Amino acid sequence: MIQSRRSRIGNALTYAAVIPLAAFFLIPVIWLVSLSVRTPQEVFLGASRLIPEAPTLANFGQVLTDGGFRLYLWNSVKLAFLGAAGAVAFAAPASYAFSRMTFRGKPALMMGILAVQMVSGLVILIPLYRYMDRLGLLETHFGTTLLYISAGIPVTVWLLKTSFDAVPMELEEAAAIDGLGRFETFLRITLPLAAPGVASALILNVILNWSQFLIPFVMLSESAKWPISVAIFNYAGATNATTTQLLAAACLVAVVPTLIVFLALQRLIVRALTSGALKG
Amino acid sequence: MNRPLIVSALALAIGGAPALAQEDMVTRDRVGPADAENALTFRLTAYDLYSSDEATATAFEELFIDFIEDNPGWRIDTQLQTGNLNQEQARMIEQAQAGRGPDCAMVDSSQLATYKAAGVLSPMNEYFTEDEVADFFPYVRDGITDDAGNILAVWWFTDLRVLYRNTEVVPEAPQTWEELKTAALETVDEGYEGVLFNGGRTEGTAFDWLANFWAQGGQLVNEAGEPVFYEGENRELFLEAVRYYEDLVESGAAPARVTSITTYDDMLAAAAAGTTALFVGGNWMYAQIQSTLPEEEAAKWEASELPGPTADQRATGTGGWTIAALTDDPEKVRMCAAIAKLYLGPGNAFQALLPTQASLYEEYDTYAGPEFEVFSAALENGQARPGVAIYPEISNQIQILLGEVMSGAAEPEEALDAAAEAVEAAYARQ
Amino acid sequence: MTATSAPRRAAAPPATGGGPAPARPLPWLLPVLFFIGLFYLWPIIDALRLAFTDASLLDREANFSLDAIGAMLGSAALGTVLRNTAVFTLGSVFGQLLLGLAIALLVVRGERNNLRGMLVLRTLVLAAWVIPGIANGVIWQMLFSEAPFGAINSTLRLVGIPPVAWLSNPDNAMMSAIIATVWQGTAYSMILLYAALRSIDDTLYEAAAVDAATPWERLWFITLPELRGALLVNAILIVIMTLNTFDVIISLTGGGPGRATEVLALYAYNTVFYNFDLAGGSVLSILLMAISLTLAAIVAMFLPRSGRP
Repeated sequence: MIQSRRSRIGNALTYAAVIPLAAFFLIPVIWLVSLSVRTPQEVFLGASRLIPEAPTLANFGQVLTDGGFRLYLWNSVKLAFLGAAGAVAFAAPASYAFSRMTFRGKPALMMGILAVQMVSGLVILIPLYRYMDRLGLLETHFGTTLLYISAGIPVTVWLLKTSFDAVPMELEEAAAIDGLGRFETFLRITLPLAAPGVASALILNVILNWSQFLIPFVMLSESAKWPISVAIFNYAGATNATTTQLLAAACLVAVVPTLIVFLALQRLIVRALTSGALKG
Repeated sequence: MNRPLIVSALALAIGGAPALAQEDMVTRDRVGPADAENALTFRLTAYDLYSSDEATATAFEELFIDFIEDNPGWRIDTQLQTGNLNQEQARMIEQAQAGRGPDCAMVDSSQLATYKAAGVLSPMNEYFTEDEVADFFPYVRDGITDDAGNILAVWWFTDLRVLYRNTEVVPEAPQTWEELKTAALETVDEGYEGVLFNGGRTEGTAFDWLANFWAQGGQLVNEAGEPVFYEGENRELFLEAVRYYEDLVESGAAPARVTSITTYDDMLAAAAAGTTALFVGGNWMYAQIQSTLPEEEAAKWEASELPGPTADQRATGTGGWTIAALTDDPEKVRMCAAIAKLYLGPGNAFQALLPTQASLYEEYDTYAGPEFEVFSAALENGQARPGVAIYPEISNQIQILLGEVMSGAAEPEEALDAAAEAVEAAYARQ
Repeated sequence: MTATSAPRRAAAPPATGGGPAPARPLPWLLPVLFFIGLFYLWPIIDALRLAFTDASLLDREANFSLDAIGAMLGSAALGTVLRNTAVFTLGSVFGQLLLGLAIALLVVRGERNNLRGMLVLRTLVLAAWVIPGIANGVIWQMLFSEAPFGAINSTLRLVGIPPVAWLSNPDNAMMSAIIATVWQGTAYSMILLYAALRSIDDTLYEAAAVDAATPWERLWFITLPELRGALLVNAILIVIMTLNTFDVIISLTGGGPGRATEVLALYAYNTVFYNFDLAGGSVLSILLMAISLTLAAIVAMFLPRSGRP
């Protein structure tokens, strides 16, 4: 069929575009992997040793036996997930209101919510620091999580509003006729139907939280409470030319667990998106 | 307080590490028994007790364990600081003013003035005899005492900048700017990169370069602490030193990439890779060269005093770290002073850093090597950064200025005028 | 502190069939208002207050003063910094939008045709994103390193191309900073646009197929108009994020050489952390906020609302 020949050309073109793009995103990671299995001497030999002559896992060994790293990873997991869950939980009702209700000042309020995110974190952090200190929340994961939640809320409100907008109103109206209250409708009808959107919002938050640097850096001074981003920064400062390979290994250790988690979650989202739940 | 529980649960879950069953004397966040009745918080850098170099970490663990045994009933809660000096400093001062700072902390010598100005340091006078104080090098003593003569910190090691060369390529140590340029150009002819130095946006850029300004007798600030480097006689001396760097890059004696060099490690890496035969680095790099390069290669490297405009006009920037007490509790100040002494003597000797008291060079064998003769000779021309709160901004402007001149974005005069304007504006607001 | 729990108030059943119940948005909005009030508005008001003082990190006392505003807005460096910010933001935003759109389109097309490897591409893009900004700067510094053994330059040398001054040439340094930012940030646009693409009604394409529309026509007349909302929202979000980004730059170039890559956020950071000038830093960050707001408002004007074709 003509159709299939045309799509075969299309497929070839698709790959022709995909491969350089994939390379652009892959090469830095390959370089990182390559550095992480080199011996110090080979680090200085550049691209000619992309595949080292004597690859070694010793760098990972050294990073992983450092008890600190496991703790940093755990801290990251905890802060990122609690922060993400909090942001979604607190933003969802507001997003629903923005999606379904008409009230005075709605557009202004929505812009306002977006606008608060435009203040550069580094200056509001100093007033915040003094403030959190008075509340006794400095040096705690609880206080740090509250800030992660606040950091995530504005974007989450917008994202969730968009996915609630996509849920057909008719379903909710039917529920209302069945006598369900507004909050039950939201919980039982809208939220499950918007699950893919909620999941992506959650994941977005986890990723943004995973990279959070300034908040934990300012809030937490005990290294035992640090997430991995602060630890890596510190590690980069404490390593020297002879330990570039250790830094590379540490960066990978910081990234790989999340990658695995996201790979798993990614499939889930794709299935949810393609299951047709949204298309009605 | 259930953190150890989480740690052990996690350790079991991930690696099944059994070591935690028995209580460790040194962990990531403390030294000494967890249930000790007194606790001192100590904020330290990641270069010793928690060094990624195992030998260093082990040696310091032993030092600290001995220390705790000598001070029963005490525990040290350790807090690591990151390598970002400015951010760390801002955070620590903010914390100290909120009454939440560490009891005892390592402070970079160039930042001590800011801490003094913020009034957060407690005097340690009673823990040092007059002789001990007199034993400090004069510039060190000046740096750590306030107007009333109080000892506000212990400057436990100093450092300085020297010129490193691969003696196989450059047999004779260049003594003047001109000789360095000639020698560097010769190495370029032999396929090397030329002379390397910090030229990016980092404190090292300003500090290494300042030696060239100081060697001519230039002054950054006057007696009253007001910035004057862009006025009168200083202006010409400053421009001379800027043109020297500009000429190194323009002539090809230094590669254009120096404006992207922001750590001393970049130079060490180039030395290890064998791409350079000359670079400006810190004295501590001598030991790093020995441990990084194969023995045979390392033996080729030697340090010499930084070249000056003429052979007898020399200077070198001296820095290093201090330990200061931020607590008001006299018992904790005493402990902090004791920790400082731990670093001052045995801590230095192990790391082969440069102690700040003359007697220590006699006391430890570490300092018998020939390189220490070069270092102590160069220390004669040592210049500390001015202890004024405007210094960080002066340094910032020098980094910008050098980067712009060496990358061809600005001429020395206009760059200096812009820097002067920025420094004056910042000074007026302090 | 107890966090406000989600509102439990159930609205009365609709009075008239079909339409939603009368809006009582407040209980729904409370949790968000609580967080924003506490962790944004209050500190912003404090930052505004600080802008009108002589506050410094070194001194807890602060007095009313207009000096900070005059000094910051009158500073000679501000022009350069604003120009850098404009170049950096425009470059990063366009790069992320274009790459994100291209990848989302490719992945969607590939999935429709059951092509292998689309998951790999998507995962690679995501991988770049989960790398913390600080580590990103470290990685790209190794890649752009102009040392003879730097990743890209040593590769170029292997194939006989002269090395490039990625970081030491002022113009290239900005380009390098943009590349590193785009590398990391593209995932964000890709996800948003991917989700938007998947939710485009298939019947639109089926109709186009009946009309024998070319792929370009489909892109131009169906896909892009349908994506308009998502693209614009995406653009607003990226503009804001990019304007406030400096962790990649600080670990890649530190703002150098000279001032070539010093953007407004980094400049504000330096003002606070080099000068301890809290008031000046507050002035700059409020300026940053004003710029973000203006840009966002301009983009928002193009959002489809009523006049959708």
